[in-house]
Amino acid sequence: MSMISPKPKAVLTLSSFFSAADILVNQTNLGRDALIRKMLDHLAAQHQLTDTDKYFNAIIERESSSDTVLSRGIALPHARLESLDKPYVAVATSSSGISFADNKPPVHLILLVLIPSDQPGLYLQIIRSLSSILRDTETSKKLTQMSTPEEVMRFFERGGLVLPDYVCAADIMDNSFDFLRNNDNLKSAIDSFIAKKHSEIPVLDNDDDMVGVVSAGSLLKVCLPDYLLWMSDLSPIINFEPFTDVLRKEQSSSLSDILVKDFPAVQMSAPAISVAAEITRRNCSACYVLNDKKLVGVIDLPLFLNKIFRE
Amino acid sequence: MHSDSVVPTSPLQILSKISAMIVITALAGWGSRAIGIAPDTLPVVAVCTFIGVICTTLFFWSHRVAIAFLGVAVLIGTRTMTLQGLMRATELDIIFFLVGMMIIVGALKDLGFLTWVIQSIINKKKMTGGSFVLILCGLAALLSSVVDEVSSIVVVLALVFQVCDTLKVRATPFVLIAVLCTNIGSASTMLGNPVGIFIGNKAGFTFGQFLSGATPIAFTSLLATAVIVMFWFRKPIREMTAKMEEHRNQNRGLGPLVRIPFKRGLCVLITTVSIIAFHHQIENLLGLTGAENKNAFLIVTPLIIAGLLMAYRPQRARHYVEHDVEWWTLLFFMLLFAIAGSLEHQGVTANLADKLSAIVTGGPKAMVPFVLGISSIGSAFVDNIVFVAAFTPVIQSLVERAADYSILWWALLFGACFGGNITAIGSTANIVALGLLEKRAHAHIGFLEWLKIGAVIGLVSGLIAWGMLQIMPVPHPVGLHAAAEHHDPDTKPHTAPCFQQP
Repeated sequence: MSMISPKPKAVLTLSSFFSAADILVNQTNLGRDALIRKMLDHLAAQHQLTDTDKYFNAIIERESSSDTVLSRGIALPHARLESLDKPYVAVATSSSGISFADNKPPVHLILLVLIPSDQPGLYLQIIRSLSSILRDTETSKKLTQMSTPEEVMRFFERGGLVLPDYVCAADIMDNSFDFLRNNDNLKSAIDSFIAKKHSEIPVLDNDDDMVGVVSAGSLLKVCLPDYLLWMSDLSPIINFEPFTDVLRKEQSSSLSDILVKDFPAVQMSAPAISVAAEITRRNCSACYVLNDKKLVGVIDLPLFLNKIFRE
Repeated sequence: MHSDSVVPTSPLQILSKISAMIVITALAGWGSRAIGIAPDTLPVVAVCTFIGVICTTLFFWSHRVAIAFLGVAVLIGTRTMTLQGLMRATELDIIFFLVGMMIIVGALKDLGFLTWVIQSIINKKKMTGGSFVLILCGLAALLSSVVDEVSSIVVVLALVFQVCDTLKVRATPFVLIAVLCTNIGSASTMLGNPVGIFIGNKAGFTFGQFLSGATPIAFTSLLATAVIVMFWFRKPIREMTAKMEEHRNQNRGLGPLVRIPFKRGLCVLITTVSIIAFHHQIENLLGLTGAENKNAFLIVTPLIIAGLLMAYRPQRARHYVEHDVEWWTLLFFMLLFAIAGSLEHQGVTANLADKLSAIVTGGPKAMVPFVLGISSIGSAFVDNIVFVAAFTPVIQSLVERAADYSILWWALLFGACFGGNITAIGSTANIVALGLLEKRAHAHIGFLEWLKIGAVIGLVSGLIAWGMLQIMPVPHPVGLHAAAEHHDPDTKPHTAPCFQQP
């Protein structure tokens, strides 16, 4: 009796997007724009791509909005283009280094990526596949010592840089965020809302576990409790009488007055789409990314849209 | 609107609950056949369907509408009930009354009247924990007697949370006090509880008759409850007094103080209650007499007022209908009434009435503690309307035999309303209060914590009701609820010898 084994899931590696012919080694005496132009021309010649001017402009525009220099001397210039039917990747190495951004050290490994516009996660998946390279400080140095495209290609093939199945919350989160401690007072929260223009701030306990969020909205709710909002017509309140009590006691009040314990959150390994679902379902503007109970990042709506629709 | 939270349950728990439901339902079916109240297959199906719905409200509260839908399908599919009979049994008159009242309450909130009530109490100078609790008891009972118990508890708990959050005191004792008094106050008029309008309409009481029978007993029970809770919760009350004093010394109030216009809302409420109070006289004036017009103006008054309010505020009309009417609950009521109607349709309730009158000797007054006790205990564990819907045809059957049995309507009313205090799941107001407490104060009242005070209040108020029903002359319906009026042509003739016509 024959057994039907489940079809193995195809594994997509980074090296499957390019060949040795797409690699330029030891590029020297070139600026960022010149290198990008050279890589595009090379890619166009290999794959009969037209319209390289358009690709060039798109990549430069993307670099101008924010550079794509990753850590460890690696840059990932890229563009999302409607006219492409599949992704194209070109690789360049430079032992002397090429300056990609004024405030960052020169880069030694450059992966130029052209992505069809309808594959929003691909760029993020490529970045995640590079995580092992990014962790190793010696990678870009090793690559610059390789003198032929074939050697570089073998490096990528041996490295087995696998693209993850999906983009997860950790791939798109912003891991620098402001927060308050649960023993802070109402005044600190109001100051943060005003000074940092935050509408919502996460609150952590002493173990860095997230316990809730305080928001300008919940502050307003203290001033305008539900039973005042039962009235559709609030015209009887023409001044700020409801705010008087809060103003009087903001320094002596703890955050618990406005702390909301039910907040939108996903675990860092959750698919990015669940971030969208959480934001949509709760009709909120940001989602918190947790590692168990610890807050590790924040994804607000503009960041999410940028990652999915633009990057 | 209040949505039910779906509590995550393990597959094992679900399985054991389903098993318990099947066993209880099967036992009920077998038992009803064995004792002769359901002699054939179809009456057994009616009993099993009804018990199945009761079990659902007990074990799977959030699935009650779904199971009620399926129950109706079973009744139709097995020909236990005809479609026409089912439609008649949905008690659309009561549903319309409740829809109208819910719209009026929505408008009262919208017009600022209920906000004004809360503000007036927060504004009170030199309040202590004790005076706050007395105000709370009075407000909860009064509000629940003029608007429905769920709207009342929402308003009263808004006050409780505002005061407790501001003073940083535990809200749980005050939530309990508010709910206990809400359930007691809801028995005092036809407007307070769906059970009230259901019994009033089925029995054929006028609003005035209902008021004169129910209010003295509810008021006495409320006084007893106030005394008990003042003693029972003396510690949190003392703590609140201290915090209020401390707060006053710091020149801080109990919440934002805003001048709220209330006259329009008050006018709407007074007009509604006044018209309802004189519905019988208006019916006579308009010639709305006879069995087919019984309580007609009582039922349509909320619809008239709701209609006028929606015409007055057309931009809010849709909001009132879509957000202020608890369609989920009303749909459950309709289906439940229909399923309970199948018991009557199959003669089960008439047979049960026969058995009861044979078992409980000593006449109607001897049966009062029996009905009071069974409806109290039943209402403590399942929605009180479920019990009332099932018991109503039984009492109707008894009343048709002897008018003196109409005292049992009162026993049923007080048992259902006061019994709702015994457990946390005893009434809709309790469940709404628990939900609000979890949402606002992130606190939970344990089953035993509730049961301790609930059982005491349930017992004391039940004894008061029993005692007063023995000594107090209670009104009898103007005419027995005309079975002929709603007489279902599909209903099998049962053994009741005669019907008294109004």
